[in-house]
Amino acid sequence: MRSETLTNVIEACRFCFMCRHLATVGNVTFRESDTPRGTALILDKVRRDPALLQCADYVECLYRNALSGACRKHCVSSYDEVGLVLAAREDIVAVGAAPKAVAVLAETLERTGNPFGAAARTGAKRRAATTADVLYFVDPYAAHKQPEIAAAFLAAAKALGVKVLPVEGVDAGKALLVLGYRDQAAKAAKRVRKLVAESGCKTVVTSCPACFDAFKNDYPRLGAGFGAKVAIEHSGAFLLKVLEAKKPKISKRGKAKVFYLDSDFLRNYNGIVDEPRALLRALGLALLPFGTNPEESCACGEGAVVSDVLHPGVVSLLRARVEELADDPAHDTLVVASPYTKHVLVSGVRPLKVKTLDEVVAERIG
Amino acid sequence: MLPTRDSYMSEMIRSELADAVGDEHVLVDEAEKLGHSVDYYWMAEMWHDRGMRNPTPDFVVRPGTTEEVAKVLRIANTYKIPVTPWGGGSGSQGGALPIYNGIILDVKRLNRIIEVDPVSMTVKVESGINTQHLEWALEKQGYSTMHYPASIACATLGGFLAHRGTGVLSTKYGKIEDMVMSLEVVLPTGEIIKTLPVPRHASGPDLTQMFLGSEGTLGVMTQATLKIHPIPECRKFHAFLFKDMTTAMAAGRGIMLSRLRPCVVRLYDEPETKRLIKRVLGIDKAGAYLVFGFDGPREMVDFELARACAICREGNPEDLGTELGELWWQHRYKFFYPPFMFHLPQAFGTLDTVATFANIEKVYWAMKNTVEQNFTGVAYIGHFSHWYEWGCMLYARFIMDEPPQDPREAARLYNKIWDQAIRAAIREGGVINEHHGVGLKLGRLMKDLYGPAFVVLQGIKKTLDPNNIMNPGKMGFEGV
Repeated sequence: MRSETLTNVIEACRFCFMCRHLATVGNVTFRESDTPRGTALILDKVRRDPALLQCADYVECLYRNALSGACRKHCVSSYDEVGLVLAAREDIVAVGAAPKAVAVLAETLERTGNPFGAAARTGAKRRAATTADVLYFVDPYAAHKQPEIAAAFLAAAKALGVKVLPVEGVDAGKALLVLGYRDQAAKAAKRVRKLVAESGCKTVVTSCPACFDAFKNDYPRLGAGFGAKVAIEHSGAFLLKVLEAKKPKISKRGKAKVFYLDSDFLRNYNGIVDEPRALLRALGLALLPFGTNPEESCACGEGAVVSDVLHPGVVSLLRARVEELADDPAHDTLVVASPYTKHVLVSGVRPLKVKTLDEVVAERIG
Repeated sequence: MLPTRDSYMSEMIRSELADAVGDEHVLVDEAEKLGHSVDYYWMAEMWHDRGMRNPTPDFVVRPGTTEEVAKVLRIANTYKIPVTPWGGGSGSQGGALPIYNGIILDVKRLNRIIEVDPVSMTVKVESGINTQHLEWALEKQGYSTMHYPASIACATLGGFLAHRGTGVLSTKYGKIEDMVMSLEVVLPTGEIIKTLPVPRHASGPDLTQMFLGSEGTLGVMTQATLKIHPIPECRKFHAFLFKDMTTAMAAGRGIMLSRLRPCVVRLYDEPETKRLIKRVLGIDKAGAYLVFGFDGPREMVDFELARACAICREGNPEDLGTELGELWWQHRYKFFYPPFMFHLPQAFGTLDTVATFANIEKVYWAMKNTVEQNFTGVAYIGHFSHWYEWGCMLYARFIMDEPPQDPREAARLYNKIWDQAIRAAIREGGVINEHHGVGLKLGRLMKDLYGPAFVVLQGIKKTLDPNNIMNPGKMGFEGV
């Protein structure tokens, strides 16, 4: 079992409570099992009796995890509680114990390249027909739920004089990987690598933090790394660099005060905290601290990539938590780095005012 | 006799509980039962680690209001089902373990901040709130509870109330029982009561203090009004290394008897300085490490810090300066994270106790000699971390690197160490615990501590909880 390679994490976390204030799902479901301690206790039982991988209650809990990485980032020893759950999911898939909803979702991802089962949009470029220095990878949430994000990035790039080749309708494989389908994720990764190689690009940019993390960290482990000559950037960091280099005129239109909600993949997985904030400040915005603390995940399940499809009830609670933490949810402008998070936050009964970094840039320099 | 789990009677009770709190808040799944079968008590951890079955609840019930708590307790009374309150589950005494199965009353949904009163500087809050979340919310408004325990990240407010918990700033701001203004309590029979609104009065005995530390045996504390404080202008630390614990103790005592008001005084004995201060803070020196701090207006802090340093220097210590004092503050919780905290396969226990200055060193040596002379391969270390005008708390620990593999043999040896060490402490003027509580671990020693006075506690328990549903078998009270 893959989870056996992380026995040190099981032994460290099974009786440790020191990060439970940051247990993203546990904070809204109030379940003991939705904490790193709870999952480590489960996997401690499983390692003694692998037949328990078939226990539907245990499996359900392991798939409810939002994988935010907030607890791992907080831990003074950085025990990889996220890696443990991912390994356990692979074990679950390997023994054929994945819940039906997970299996159906994986099949949908393989078949359509997105979690919604949607057909590719008309005109979407799935192949690198031309070459370009910069390839812009559009994720399913930006493609099918929040098309204004990709439009904003492309508009900003054009205004800044950067030629970009957009590509969408191709699955990055990240969702398959977090669901436990490693082999299928590796195939997807190799397809993307081929596409990147054909484009001849020097930089791959994406507005999707999950895709960014996949390209940067997962692909090399899956044998599909882009190589040292291709830079990988989240659109926020990319636009910041271009802004700093080109120093365009910044518009003073729009609200001057904004709150930035960190992305799980950028902050907790890749330690990217300053760049998004620097970008917003470079755009002349006054940045206010969101919520009560800088550690809690407010990305609404971004770490699990497709949480809203698999666990809409939990995601609804996560969204309510963001609303609860906001100073003035009806009026505050929240800026996020993730199409997924924007999709969740604007989909509630009382939609919040949310923009991505790309949209803010497009507004301020357009 | 409890209904068996596969009987229709079990389903009847489940339906009634679901009617009280909502179907989605009565949990019976295996993952949640497992999560409530182990707390931070070494015995439960060891039992799990050895592949033994820990007791699990029949139902995990999660009320969202005080009224729902009352409904659940009335149902439990009707069917005489044991109810064990559960907050963060991070207690070290086994107090939250469902040893007779029954209902785990998980209070984490009671997490609302009801009112911040800036005029009186108080906050009214529900008891299931995570204390770090409470502290963050208050800090955003410019206040603090000043309750900074190592378990701040995991424990609920109710856990601290139930066990008379304490935090690292207790020397100035007090233990939780000093921070509470008043309580709302659901009695075992389901009545909802409020204690008097202020903690100082001459209107009869203090009900608030009676419920504090009752560990869920006398009812469920559902709300508390706490004192809050402004965020201090500054907080500064200083550290010294003394040649031995006795000299350092004299310095610490001197600070307290001078009536300076440090927020922190913490003294590590020589073995703990060598073992933990080196490992966690990287200070590799022999002797006894003493750190203290002051907070408040800058001028006052500088004045008090200088006076405290002057008192310390009378003992000719090595001056470690501000930096190595601040280092402790920055890493104060690191001691409790793996791998820095003791962990299985080690057996370990925190023998925290409290005594007057006249007795505290006698307590230290009595426990140390008992542990080291009677048990082979068991180490004893300690620090003194909560200081009062009259004495201080000893946070002593025993550590056995290689306990027996057989779980029953390990349990027997573990309990024997506790029995002998605690009885040694009591003989020298100590008590069985200072801030972790009694729970299952120390219940059998309550009669040793209280003597004939324990009858008074038993009488209160019997009067308030005639059917003995509330956390039976804990604190030395009757089991099922």
